[in-house]
Amino acid sequence: MLRLKGGRLYDPARAIDGQVGDLYLEGGRIVAPPGPDGVIDGEIDVTGRVVMAGAIDLHTHIGGGKMNIARMLLPEDHRGDPVPARDLHGGGHLHGGCGHAAPATWTTGYRYAEMGYTACFEPAMLPANARHAHLEMGDIPMVDKGAYAMLGNDDFFLRLLSSGADQRLINDYVGWTLDATQAMAIKVVNPGGISAFKFNARNLDLDEAHPHYGVTPRQVIQALARAVHDLGVAHPLHVHASNLGIPGNADTTLATMAAAEGLPIHLTHIQFHSYGTEGARRFSSEAERIAAAINRMANVSADVGQILFGQTVTASGDTMGQHRNHRHASPDKWVVMDIECDAGCGVVPFRYRDKNFVNALQWAIGLELFLRVSDPWRLFLTTDHPNGAPFTSYPHLIRLLMDRDFRNGKLDEIHAEAAAHSQLRSLAREYSLYEIAIMTRAGPARSLGLADRGHLGPGAWADVVVYRDEADREAMFAKPEYVFKDGELIVRDGRVVKVVNGALHALKPEYDKAIEQPLREYFDRYMTVKMEHMKIGDDEICACGASKLIPHKCGRQA
Amino acid sequence: MNPSLSVSPIPCPFCGLLCDDLEVAVVAGHARITSAGCARAAGLFDVPGQGQARVRGLAVAPEVAIAAAAGLLAAARRPLIGGLGCDVAGQRAAIALAERVAGVLEHMHGAAQFRNTLAFQDGGWMTTTLSEVRNRADVILFAGTDASAFPRFRERLLTGASQFGPARRRILALLPPSEALPEELGGDLVIPCPREGLAELAGVLRARLAGRRADRDPVAGVPGERIEALLDALRGARYGVLVWNAAELDFPQADLTVAALVDLLKDLNRDTRWAGLPLGGNDGGTSAAQVCAWQTGYPLRTALTASGPRYDPIGFAAERLLARGEVDALLWISALDPARLPPAADCPVIVLGRADMELATAPEVFIPVAVPGVQRAGYLHRMDGIVALPLAAPLACDLPGVAPILTTITEALDHAAA
Repeated sequence: MLRLKGGRLYDPARAIDGQVGDLYLEGGRIVAPPGPDGVIDGEIDVTGRVVMAGAIDLHTHIGGGKMNIARMLLPEDHRGDPVPARDLHGGGHLHGGCGHAAPATWTTGYRYAEMGYTACFEPAMLPANARHAHLEMGDIPMVDKGAYAMLGNDDFFLRLLSSGADQRLINDYVGWTLDATQAMAIKVVNPGGISAFKFNARNLDLDEAHPHYGVTPRQVIQALARAVHDLGVAHPLHVHASNLGIPGNADTTLATMAAAEGLPIHLTHIQFHSYGTEGARRFSSEAERIAAAINRMANVSADVGQILFGQTVTASGDTMGQHRNHRHASPDKWVVMDIECDAGCGVVPFRYRDKNFVNALQWAIGLELFLRVSDPWRLFLTTDHPNGAPFTSYPHLIRLLMDRDFRNGKLDEIHAEAAAHSQLRSLAREYSLYEIAIMTRAGPARSLGLADRGHLGPGAWADVVVYRDEADREAMFAKPEYVFKDGELIVRDGRVVKVVNGALHALKPEYDKAIEQPLREYFDRYMTVKMEHMKIGDDEICACGASKLIPHKCGRQA
Repeated sequence: MNPSLSVSPIPCPFCGLLCDDLEVAVVAGHARITSAGCARAAGLFDVPGQGQARVRGLAVAPEVAIAAAAGLLAAARRPLIGGLGCDVAGQRAAIALAERVAGVLEHMHGAAQFRNTLAFQDGGWMTTTLSEVRNRADVILFAGTDASAFPRFRERLLTGASQFGPARRRILALLPPSEALPEELGGDLVIPCPREGLAELAGVLRARLAGRRADRDPVAGVPGERIEALLDALRGARYGVLVWNAAELDFPQADLTVAALVDLLKDLNRDTRWAGLPLGGNDGGTSAAQVCAWQTGYPLRTALTASGPRYDPIGFAAERLLARGEVDALLWISALDPARLPPAADCPVIVLGRADMELATAPEVFIPVAVPGVQRAGYLHRMDGIVALPLAAPLACDLPGVAPILTTITEALDHAAA
């Protein structure tokens, strides 16, 4: 048994806010204090240190076809950040790779762990591409992984919906998809819009009929949100709303929240969906209105998708949006792909510039959202890696949230007109360590239904991070002193000291397998793959590369 | 180590289409396709279950051959890990070995692959996948290919049922004057054009799309009125698909031809929908590029040096490395097609090949390997890079796969270094 002695614990799941205490790690888990007869075989004095559970990123594009397209597209970006292989005597072998915007899988795992993250969720796994995504994620070491299956643009679903199919049939199809793709949640991207783009539509508003199926994005969202709820999936329907990036899209975003009609709904990278059309440049912040709606609607959660300045690459299922955005590509090259009557993907490199009015305002809008949404349990810290910025910029983002002087200093550097337009300077809020721990640990764990992750209570898996309490929060969160994964010390002073392999979280929903009959017929008749070959068996998870499968039951939490 | 696919039908690993509707029976120790498939698959599914490891042509025990291979690689300063005709597990093991020996990774179809990769890395592209073609395409433009290198292309993509109404497709083709479009493709508009002229023609089509007049007639041998007819057909598509096969664009700087076709596709998408379908992916080529990209960031032609992966899409062409003596050992992996022999090399050659591979000259080391999809389970990517399928082992045998042999070699090198 290992004792972490005297740290200041930040464990929001148990309402512990910086109290000093000891943690006991044994058999990979956190255990109760052993009492006077307990045998402590190791002790680390962490007096004065900040102790949190391992961080959980619930929206990060780390693996899957579009990320590999992004990697292949940007050799010039990789060249700036080569990663040599390294042997850790006794701790395993660190593979070479590359970092920055679209890092190699190995490097992705090492760098997440080095920041104190112990689980990452890929939010856009196409069912047609699911096995590939699991193979890629299998080569991301250190962290546990999971993925959200994308639905709502696939022709099978749109056929069901447009034919007025019973909700139960839709639920069975959603259940089958979760099961067949080994997913943890369901995501919808530009509902119906990716499909509409294949029919040459360039826009699809929330209440606009799909050019072929006649159904609207609102109907897609409602059917999927209902299915996710009825199946008892912990994480709400994960929605990349219509009209991403378009000035004035805040109205669509608010209408999308309302479209859930009280069912749980998660709006992802909401920064990209909080734009107005005020001002001479017809581009303005609607963060106040969006944040107010989130504050008012308890069924809504969101992640921010903060942008930070510099080179990155945007990778999205939203072909309609990405094709529209391609004129902003920097460097000037871009990829759009229609995929398997299933969905699509678009990859557009971006360079966000602080002296560019739109980029500067995007930056301010994201921060405004962070500061205006009052409940950190329903707002998650993301950059929509790599779309807003690479995940390695999280420590910088945390400092922006925790340090008002630092934030205002940066505000002085951005495009002056954008800074003047933004109300950011008037927002005095500084996030506390407790709130950061909610946003990056306890909140995501609760949202995903991970009962034994994201907290430090007895019985939890021992994913534990120890930080030095530095005034410079960026330096502090960039380099934890210790990171434990399932009780093993994997990072010391911000460097990997032991290579471990992560597990895969996947849901095991209950549904009527009779759905396979129409599905099999559909695949046999129209597709170039057999339905049976779409399904990823439990026994494939380790062959794909994960250490093990962690199955989760569906069911409403008490 | 991959779980075996027990259900029937099973995928065929022998071309980039990865048709997954084959019924295979084992009769007297031979795998026989009983439903679906093609002549190429029928020949390649029939593979002997035993093979002989050899060192300089002499029969040896497998572990002796493995030790010899490890010795040669340990002595090499920069080996070429080439061929890469294997499944995902084999690709993973090949990269791990390359990292151990500072090797260069290049697939046997690298010359064709990189005509696409160079164009892609310069401008990106717009592409589609097989099921989209089958369901959506109302116009197909074959540019410099008739897709006959992929035997079931027409059957699988052009004649199957479509979800979106009648599957009447207009077939357009730009083929050299000496080549005819196979009759069963039923070309509606077949225009003679040399492959070397495709880029020029694409450029003029773009100019016409932009409302400009062509400054010459004919263009690449194509008379103006035929260009106008082609233009009308391109504009009239609801969902057009431009098909090319980089392997058939076998002339210098053909990446610029691919780039010209991609630029045409992008311009067409201002008003209607078009997408490209780059044919390829044979001999595990798609998996090789995909695995290398996710593990290293680069799609092959990558050296795993002490300072990290180094990518050189021109300099690390296998042909060039071998011709200039820039590599001092060649490991050739070809577990799918026995006809894919190693190139001539002035350095020691190690071959991991099918048991029925016939080599004119004995390499330093030959190690027979199981064929993924016939003798061993595994994973392989289809040409579009999206679909990865589980391979079956209808004719399981005792031969090891590529991955365990490469892993054994890597471990032997680790021990020697320790």
